[in-house]
Amino acid sequence: MRNMEKYFDISYIWNSLPVLLPFLKVTFMVAGLSIVFGTFFGLILAVMKLGKSKIAQKTANFYTTILRCTPSIVLLFLVYYGVPALADNFGLYLHDLNTAVFVVITFTLQFAAIMSEVIRSAYESIEKGQFEAAVSVGLSPFQAYRRIIFPQALVVGLPNFGNGLIALLQEGSLAYTIGLIDIVGKANLIIAANYNTHALEIFIALAIVYWVLSILIEKFFGKLEKVFSKGKQTINTN
Amino acid sequence: MLKINDIHKSFGKNEILKGVDLSIDKGDVVVILGPSGSGKTTLLRCINFLERADSGNATFGDLQVNLHDASKKDIHAIRQKTAFVFQNYNLFNNKTAIENVTEGLIIGRKIPKADAIAIGKKALDKVGLSDKYDSYPSQLSGGQQQRVGIARAVALNPDIILFDEPTSALDPELVGEVLTVMKNIANEGTTMLVVTHEMSFAKDVASHVIFMDGGVVVEEGSSHDIFVSPKEERTKKFLKRVLPEDYTFYI
Amino acid sequence: MSEGLNYTFLIDTFFVALSGVPITLFVTIVALLVALPLGFLLALTRINQVPVLNWFSRIYVSFVRGTPIIIQIFIVYASVPLILSLFFNRYNININVYDINPIWYAFIVFSFSTTAILIEVFRSALSTVNKGQLEAAQSVGLSNFQAYRRIIIPQALVVAMPNICTATVNLIKATSLGYAMSLQEITLKAKVAANAGYNYVEAYIDIFLVYIILCSLVEYGFKLYEKRLRRYKYASA
Ligand SMILES: Nc1ncnc2c1ncn2[C@@H]1O[C@H](COP(=O)(O)OP(=O)(O)OP(=O)(O)O)[C@@H](O)[C@H]1O
Ligand SMILES: [Mg+2]
Repeated sequence: MRNMEKYFDISYIWNSLPVLLPFLKVTFMVAGLSIVFGTFFGLILAVMKLGKSKIAQKTANFYTTILRCTPSIVLLFLVYYGVPALADNFGLYLHDLNTAVFVVITFTLQFAAIMSEVIRSAYESIEKGQFEAAVSVGLSPFQAYRRIIFPQALVVGLPNFGNGLIALLQEGSLAYTIGLIDIVGKANLIIAANYNTHALEIFIALAIVYWVLSILIEKFFGKLEKVFSKGKQTINTN
Repeated sequence: MLKINDIHKSFGKNEILKGVDLSIDKGDVVVILGPSGSGKTTLLRCINFLERADSGNATFGDLQVNLHDASKKDIHAIRQKTAFVFQNYNLFNNKTAIENVTEGLIIGRKIPKADAIAIGKKALDKVGLSDKYDSYPSQLSGGQQQRVGIARAVALNPDIILFDEPTSALDPELVGEVLTVMKNIANEGTTMLVVTHEMSFAKDVASHVIFMDGGVVVEEGSSHDIFVSPKEERTKKFLKRVLPEDYTFYI
Repeated sequence: MSEGLNYTFLIDTFFVALSGVPITLFVTIVALLVALPLGFLLALTRINQVPVLNWFSRIYVSFVRGTPIIIQIFIVYASVPLILSLFFNRYNININVYDINPIWYAFIVFSFSTTAILIEVFRSALSTVNKGQLEAAQSVGLSNFQAYRRIIIPQALVVAMPNICTATVNLIKATSLGYAMSLQEITLKAKVAANAGYNYVEAYIDIFLVYIILCSLVEYGFKLYEKRLRRYKYASA
């Protein structure tokens, strides 16, 4: 082995950042779509969990348990190979689909499971009396949800939503395994172009990018929570 | 003005209300007494459709509904005519005192915001909270919260206000301020249906007292009838228990 | 693939995937054995504001929570051989770093990340145990150590247990990334089996099933244990 100084060159970290950062666009796009779809399906699952139908409850809980037990990379490949194979049965040819589509499907499935729990627990944290008081002053049930339950549940759910986003972003780093050229995919391309030397520096650059992003998301949601938490102060003058 | 006929309600196998009748005229203050678990809360909640009765009828003025299968429209109409004061206040945690009071006016009744705020301030003034318009529930004491709860009901100017043990979650020293407010609005001619364990309130303010036990009305009459010359054994026993020494005080 | 699933392969590979379970569990258990005590000690440094260690723990936790585990794996897998070879060269130890069994890297990475996760778990659990409990224990003459051992830890453990369960399940799932270190665990074994005939769908269904079984069992085990802890809690109250 050559000596360490020659092998580890810190300038590779800084120099790779400008090359890597534009590829965050891909990361964000894939994450953004997964968030939108995942939140939507998560809401449906949450409604199923909170509703009266036992079958719907069981189904939604079963889904969440399965997804919680499946490693992202396994789900990713299951979708990547499984969806086109399944589509074949219906005469659809999906093998040439853009990899990003499979990534979005995977993380939509996963984020929906996360969001269903976030929404359920936020909803359940609001006492039933809030709804009853709202309809007792003449609000319709929809207005009661919209104006009284939702704003309060939002405050409870926000930190968990933020954590869900961070989890999604991090699990998304595995998308390179099916060939998505996001920031991790690009990093691997750079390393390959360097004949596998200076991989460590590039990985450290990647770690810095993700670390900063996670901290920013956390800070952002901390701020957001403060903005939304009207009436949450607990200065009891009692 | 409000008439309830033969209301039944079970939770699972437990029959909680076994055919209760009730009649309230405009300006009446009807107090419901009864031991814990006798179905008082359930009765109020059924009247406001917070709980769906198994059977029974209600007449609100000219509106007649079946308590079991009332339509959404009827339920909404009845809730517009009534207001509810909860045992644990149930103030909207995300809204200030004034917003709590105006929410039903602006959103439920579609009253212009400026008018609603004027009404809301008047209601809060009435319960002695002129200095707390912009406080959130978490910044108010229990007694203050319940007074906001009452202001929220009063502001709606409903045909009747239903009170479910409005003082029983309060520390003893805070009970007085809430009862005073309730007496004041009763004196203004507000129609009230009150479940309470405060015997002094029942004696002083009630125009009609109902004693419930085991899901039925055991005895009813003026407060004098019930407190001074109860006829039913169960009523006597109950009163003896809740008014051990002070009993003579009421005669 | 359009000719449907290859069921014999599906069944055979299920057992191939299953044969990766011992390695997965081995890595999981070693990581937990390192992370549980270390995470607890570092959580104490956070709670008690121990000067330097407190800061170290904060940055450490923030880093692990802020970066994907795959990148932590990349970094360890790229840096540890470098450091080791430098070390071996200097002291003239004749070991080729590339002969080291990848399981050692797995131990390092997963202990490293699980410790950080458990610091947070223990920190929040310990902070829910009322400060009065410690004072009360001291007031009846228990030493600091005894107070923790007999009063604080049993209570904190009940609070922490669901989160330890989640951390364990996440750890098991994370070992599926062992492929990046050529660790012969569930995912890699089944994948290699699939390479020959391109039976990827079948292989991933098998992997999927094995993880679901494994994680469900772990969750179930934790539930039983939690029940016991709680019963103990109330029975002795
Ligand atoms: N949602 C419910 N599900 C099942 N049982 C209920 C429910 N609500 C009330 N009950 C039962 O109905 C019975 C009557 O309850 P209710 O609250 O009407 O009594 P109450 O007269 O208001 O008593 P208290 O003076 O203690 O408030 C109780 O035995 C209670 O356990
Ligand atoms: Mg009651």
